Amino acid sequence: MGHHNHDTHHDELFYYEGDQSKLYSGILNHHAHEGVESAGSKAKIRKIWIITLYLSLITLIELAGGFYEYYNEGTNRVIMISFFFIFTLLKAYLIVKVFMHLGDEVRAFINTVIIPLLIFVWFIIAFLADADHSLHMNTSFWQQMKDAATGIIK
Amino acid sequence: MHPTATANTSRWNGGQSPFNLSYGKIMMWFFLFTDALTFGALLISNGTKRFFSEVWPNANYVFRSYPFGGDTNAPLVFVSFMTFVLIISSVTMVLAVHSGHYMDKKGVTKWLLWTIVGGVIFLASQCWEWVHLNHEGAWWGSFLDPNTVTKEHLAQFYKPGDLDNVSLEAALASTTNFFNFFFTITGFHGVHVLSGVVFNIMILINTVNGVYERRGHYEMVEKTGLYWHFVDLVWVFVFTVFYLV
Repeated sequence: MGHHNHDTHHDELFYYEGDQSKLYSGILNHHAHEGVESAGSKAKIRKIWIITLYLSLITLIELAGGFYEYYNEGTNRVIMISFFFIFTLLKAYLIVKVFMHLGDEVRAFINTVIIPLLIFVWFIIAFLADADHSLHMNTSFWQQMKDAATGIIK
Repeated sequence: MHPTATANTSRWNGGQSPFNLSYGKIMMWFFLFTDALTFGALLISNGTKRFFSEVWPNANYVFRSYPFGGDTNAPLVFVSFMTFVLIISSVTMVLAVHSGHYMDKKGVTKWLLWTIVGGVIFLASQCWEWVHLNHEGAWWGSFLDPNTVTKEHLAQFYKPGDLDNVSLEAALASTTNFFNFFFTITGFHGVHVLSGVVFNIMILINTVNGVYERRGHYEMVEKTGLYWHFVDLVWVFVFTVFYLV
C-alpha cells in the first residue's frame, strides 16, 4: 500500500470497522484480473456443469429406487431406507463441497462446520432407534394384556 | 498490511482471520448451521413419530397428481419436477457467484435472474400441491374426529392393505401426524425459498445499479448464494424423507 499516504494502522482500522471482506479476501478477488472468458474460468464452469450432471443422475437413481419400491411387493424396508439415504448424503456432500465452496476453505473452517453436524447424525440415530424400540415395547405390552385377558397366558 | 500467514500456526496469532474468511461469510455459515439444526429437529421429530406409529401414509399414494393431470395416477412425477427445478436454480446461483469472482456484472445479472425464475416456479408448484392436498381434506389438524372420518376415506393415503389390521384411531393419529409434519416442514422450507427469492431480488437490484462493481467485489452474491444452496440442500432431505422413504 505504498502508493498512498495512509499509514498501515489506519488502513487496518478502516477495514475492520468498514468492509472486512477486503481484509479477508478468501477465494474472492483472486481472479478479478483475469476475465470470465479465461481458461481458468471456463474450467471452473465446466466443473459446475459436471457436478450438475452428477446431481441429476443421483436424483434419477433415487427415483428409480422409488418406482422400484412402488411396483414391487415386499421390498426390504431397511435396505430401501439405506439406499435412499446414501444417495441423499452423496448429493448433500456435492452441494456443500462444490456449490457452497466449503471444499475451497481452510481445513479449520471445514472442521468447524462439519464436526458438530456429524455429532448431530448420532442424535438422529438415537431418536429413531428409541422410537422403534418404544413401538416394540408398546405393542408387546398391549399384546400381553390382550393375551392375558383372553386367557392365553395364565 | 497485515502479516501474511507463512505456517498454519501463525494464522492464529492475530491480525487476520484464521479462517481466511470475512466476518459476514462466517456468520452466514454459522446461521446456516443453526438453521440446519432447526430443520434437523423438525425432521427428527417426524421420523420419531413415524417409527413410533404402527402405520404411516405412503408417499406414492398421497402425492400422485400433477397440475392439469386430472385423476392420473402418477406417483413421484410432480415432485421430481420440483426437485429438478430447485437443483437447476442452485446451479444458476453458483454460476452467478462464479461470475462475481470475475467481476462480470452481466453474468451475475443473467444468472441471478434465472435463479429467481427457478425459485418462483418452485414456489408456484408448492402452492399447487398444498391447494391440491387441501382439496383432499388434508390440512394442519385434519382427520381428527373418528365420528366423521371413515377408514375408507383415509385409505386413499395408504398403500392398499396397510390399514387392514389397524384400528381407526391409529389410522387417524398417523394421518393427522403425517399431514401436520408435512405442512409444517414444507411450509418452513417454503418460507425459506420465499425469503431466498426476496434476497436474490435485492441482490439483483444492487448488481444492476453497480453497487458491487463500485465496492470492488461481489461478496454479497456469495452470501445469498450460500443461503440459496442451503435451501436446496434442505429440499434434498425433505425430498427423501417425505417423498421417497
